[in-house]
Amino acid sequence: MANLHIDICGVGFKNPVIAASGTFGFGKEFNEIYDISVLGGISTKGLTLEPRLGNPTPRIAEGHGVILNAVGLQNPGVERFLAEDLEFLKSKGTVIIANVAGKTLEDYAGICARLDGLADMIELNISCPNVKCGGMAFGIRPESVVQVTRAAKGGLKKTPLIVKLSPNVESIAVNAMAAQRGGADCVSLINTLTGMVIDIERRRPLIANNTGGVSGAGIKPIAVRMTYEVCRAVDIPVIGMGGITCAEDALEFIIAGASAVQVGTANFTDTLAMPKIIEGMNAWLDRHGIADINELKGTLTLNG
Amino acid sequence: MRELVIKVLENAPLTPNVFKMKFELPEKVEGLACGRFVNISTGDGGHLLRRPIAICEYTPDTVTICYQIKGEGTRIMSRVRPGETLSCVLPLGNGFALKEEEKKVALIGGGVGVFPMVSVLREYAGSGKNFFSYIGFRDKDAVCMEKVFKANSDRCAIVTDDGSYGEKTNAVAAFFADFEKAKPDVILSCGPVPMLRALKSGLCERGIKVPCFVSLEERMGCGIGACLVCVCHKTGGAENVRVCKDGPVFEIKEVEI
Repeated sequence: MANLHIDICGVGFKNPVIAASGTFGFGKEFNEIYDISVLGGISTKGLTLEPRLGNPTPRIAEGHGVILNAVGLQNPGVERFLAEDLEFLKSKGTVIIANVAGKTLEDYAGICARLDGLADMIELNISCPNVKCGGMAFGIRPESVVQVTRAAKGGLKKTPLIVKLSPNVESIAVNAMAAQRGGADCVSLINTLTGMVIDIERRRPLIANNTGGVSGAGIKPIAVRMTYEVCRAVDIPVIGMGGITCAEDALEFIIAGASAVQVGTANFTDTLAMPKIIEGMNAWLDRHGIADINELKGTLTLNG
Repeated sequence: MRELVIKVLENAPLTPNVFKMKFELPEKVEGLACGRFVNISTGDGGHLLRRPIAICEYTPDTVTICYQIKGEGTRIMSRVRPGETLSCVLPLGNGFALKEEEKKVALIGGGVGVFPMVSVLREYAGSGKNFFSYIGFRDKDAVCMEKVFKANSDRCAIVTDDGSYGEKTNAVAAFFADFEKAKPDVILSCGPVPMLRALKSGLCERGIKVPCFVSLEERMGCGIGACLVCVCHKTGGAENVRVCKDGPVFEIKEVEI
């Protein structure tokens, strides 16, 4: 049994596999299928100060090896999360990352202040491509990444801050550096790529929102490349994600330099994807005589 | 709710574009019931989403589903051969439940919405309830499950939109035409959105207070209630419900269709 324990910003994870925001709710449903305490962490459904109803349906479509979603940040609001879900999540003994979004800098500062000391980490969603006011406005330009990170950080005294980066930008590495400058303790990437699927019979986009965020196995090479670029550009820890479906996929991100990974769409294809990834990592490390996952981090050698 | 690898026993066309798949459960599954559904993989790695499909019939060891070929995913599913395995999460959703005092049950089914109605007939066969079935299809080619409805219903109308089989009408119109004679205690329905809308407005216009439960269809992500993809508005629009977890069966007045 290899050591899978990792540390990010002083927060201990029993393993580097974290449920990605939006695919796992607040954990209760998947806990009916398996004990979610086996997970390294859970990034919650994106939370806002006020409840949100999200976008019209259909909210999902498929492409080959990918899906598109445009849920539009439907969530019960931070207060109901605190009242109804946090205690359950805490009882599972896995790291609780509260994913948060907002319309204004004040929203980000406010929700961070409300969750400070309650969640183990906060993940700033400044890259939701599916709502006009989902923070995407903050996630594009490096200057506004600095600004929103500073605002969020201003609301936090205890809880470390992760900034989740959008791939729909000129340079994700530049934006990662901007987050670091703004005071981020960690960055995670990639959020979904913006895409569209058209129903040719109706000559309309399949998703009610017209465009949706592309995720799933097909985007993994893009996500690995971006994770590598960001790991080279910043000194803070990086959490990689995008198209991970098995242990080998996850290890690519770790070798590229990520401290941990998030798994999203794979949970839809295989409800047991994450426990299998954790077991598979262990088996791979044992097979390769590696005693500690941390030894593998950032060990990528580029070709001549 | 379990994720299991199931073995396909039968997978053959029921009509030109509806397939019937019967599969074997590898172990005992609690909670199989009428109106609930399964979320089944297509068997092709390029399709990341499962297909949510209503349970049509079941035994302790097998489940039968009927699905329409709508796109590439269901087309791939239709090519799965007996003996092959697929991943399946089941049983999901709330399902239909009849109360003891609900003796006279109207079933209104349209298109592939007839299969959840079949599941109700199977579940309550021999329970002493009286079923009145109003079953509509697009045309003669789409007609299926006729024997099941006729054999298990006190009153039964099989109709088509174009009149190529049975009366030229739709299931909802057939139901309302027969309502005074049937006087059901409860109405159960599943079918396309325009059909359910016609049912809702028809009940409202006629001031019919009989409880009415409808099974809704929506494109799903996880199928277990986590991802909030398959929602619909509760009446009034101030709150959403999840079709996969809170439904798919809702009191018709409870939701916006």
